[in-house]
Amino acid sequence: MAEDVTSGAEREAGESARFAWIDGSLLSLCLGSLALVVAAGLVQVSFGSYSMSVGEAWRSVVDTAVLLDERWLLNFLLGEELMRTVTGFQGELPELATETLIVWNIRLPRVFVAMLVGMNLAVSGAIFQAVTRNELASPFILGVSSGAGLLILLTLVVFPVLATALPLIAAAGGMGAFVLVYLIAWKGGTSPVRLVLAGVIVGTVFQSLQTGLFFFADDIGVVQSAIAWTTGSLTGTDWEQVRTALPWTIVAMGLALVGARQLNVLLLGERTASSLGMNVERMRFALSAVGVLAAAASIAVAGIVGFVGLIVPHVVRNVVGSDYKRLVVGCLFAGPALLVAADVGARLAIPVLMGGSGQLPVGIVTGLVGGPYFLYLMRKQEQLGEI
Amino acid sequence: MSQSDTTPIGTHRDDDHTDCDETPDAQTALSAPAVAASEPVGTPFDAEDLVVGYPTSEEAVVDGESLVAAPGQVTALVGPNGSGKSTLLKAMADQLAPEAGTVRLDGADVTEMDSKDLARRLGLLSQENVAPDSITVEKLVEHGRYPHRGFFDGLTEGDLDAIDRAIDLAGVDHLRERDVGSLSGGQKQLVWIAMILAQETDVLLLDEPTTFLDMHHQLEVMEIVETLRDESDKTVVVVLHDLQQAARLADHVVALKDGAVQSRGQPEDVVSEEMLADVFGIEATVTQSDIGPQITPLRPLHDDAGADRHR
Repeated sequence: MAEDVTSGAEREAGESARFAWIDGSLLSLCLGSLALVVAAGLVQVSFGSYSMSVGEAWRSVVDTAVLLDERWLLNFLLGEELMRTVTGFQGELPELATETLIVWNIRLPRVFVAMLVGMNLAVSGAIFQAVTRNELASPFILGVSSGAGLLILLTLVVFPVLATALPLIAAAGGMGAFVLVYLIAWKGGTSPVRLVLAGVIVGTVFQSLQTGLFFFADDIGVVQSAIAWTTGSLTGTDWEQVRTALPWTIVAMGLALVGARQLNVLLLGERTASSLGMNVERMRFALSAVGVLAAAASIAVAGIVGFVGLIVPHVVRNVVGSDYKRLVVGCLFAGPALLVAADVGARLAIPVLMGGSGQLPVGIVTGLVGGPYFLYLMRKQEQLGEI
Repeated sequence: MSQSDTTPIGTHRDDDHTDCDETPDAQTALSAPAVAASEPVGTPFDAEDLVVGYPTSEEAVVDGESLVAAPGQVTALVGPNGSGKSTLLKAMADQLAPEAGTVRLDGADVTEMDSKDLARRLGLLSQENVAPDSITVEKLVEHGRYPHRGFFDGLTEGDLDAIDRAIDLAGVDHLRERDVGSLSGGQKQLVWIAMILAQETDVLLLDEPTTFLDMHHQLEVMEIVETLRDESDKTVVVVLHDLQQAARLADHVVALKDGAVQSRGQPEDVVSEEMLADVFGIEATVTQSDIGPQITPLRPLHDDAGADRHR
């Protein structure tokens, strides 16, 4: 009897210790981010070319005809074909109100894509900051953006027939450049500095080639499309993009959470990590690959959105500290918050400020927010650089 | 065949001569009869004919040296700057691949061992350590359990106990909840030692654990090593800059110069005026006292040996 009581108490203590890392600062960061996502998301669904009142738009978001019908939800998340396979449903889907159709088909998926891209970039940046032990690292430090950018330009300018496969080609270009950077940096092993230098080399060359290709574009439409891809844009994103990014996001985020302890040990420096029995080279490559996977998933649906992967881990680290378990969880919430909010700016800046119609690439907004934030950090913090 | 897996060996009682060609086997043969029945048991750990260099330079830093750590005891490596002490230690911890020779832990070649298996048996405290400022002391010590945990494992009761013991032994219980960034250099060093202790290894290699510390923390570190010497079976190899400390702390002292062992044996035999002139290039007087030999350095010697020192 007495033993049962103790083991019960011990188990309870164990349970509470398991969740002890979720403290007030992390919780408030997550809840605050969530509130921002919801608020910015509601703004996003309220505006568009089809005129409806704000109240109507918000009511459509919580329309039970969609929310309580798994066929509609699966139709969005998996696509119609897979939905029919999974549910075995062959008839016509029930009719939805026009407002609901517009909000769910056109306006909401853009918010979801922004969330996925935001978390991918934030977590990817956090990983690369640990791998290179440098706070100024971003998901694109190992050449991912330049590789993706070059292939985007090549596809649009030289091989326009492949344009439908552009998302995949861009992601593949990013991964290819990462592998190239690793090959260049490898000399019986790598080090953070060698990797960053190799990233700079590959980035410089690819960037030049990419810029050179602009001269061969004979159509302003191609140039605009290329710029939208290389600065990152969520214009016209759809459930298709959600379906493209979601599986990779789940895999990458899961691996990042599982790898958080390895990232923590890597932060102690190569020598200590190695004397603790970590195979540093293998672990560094594996974690980088997870970061590249996350970055590639976001490139495939939104192009190269800059600054998110640099700023978000910073903000989160300032709030929750350098423990990667908390940092990764914080990034999962804060990344979407920044990107959904920035996308509101990207979508509404031109109509609101200049009264015209048109949208900015979201990457321009994140850059405009990111620059001043770094200025602020530089002024406030004594040391910026090493974690 | 390692001598160490066949013979229970204790302290090696070499003369202070500079013969480096001696193989460990020959040493064992010499010292075996002197082993007392009450010698502490510990894990045999030795290096044989080790040649170690860095890829950037052609010349080997440690050239064909052999070193037998006294099992269950403290062996101190001493020598001037650039004599190869730290290099030798890194090679023995499998952090540098030797160009030739073998390092054996309990008879097994360390380069053949799985890195986590090795880290469960051998701990290394590097000379300089870095940690994020916002990590707490307890979290940092927790990382010492890394080799004992699988990829998905949480902390077990055993891990928590080991962390408590390590924090206790290093005397940093009062710092437990503090951020590492807020600690003094001396406190940080004690915390790092706690992390290595949490690894609970049979063999412990410490690279200049007292350098750059104030006197209080130097003595704190020495007290920890003394406790390990007296109350555990751990085989400890420690690189020390301070000969006095080495003499006081170690059961066995090995003096290195230019990557070669110049002299090895018990502290009172090794620490002599001749050795100080030969190895360190200084003129000094040595007097024996209760706490080991006392060294009074007088002046640098400006002959060949002295010039060598600044290599």
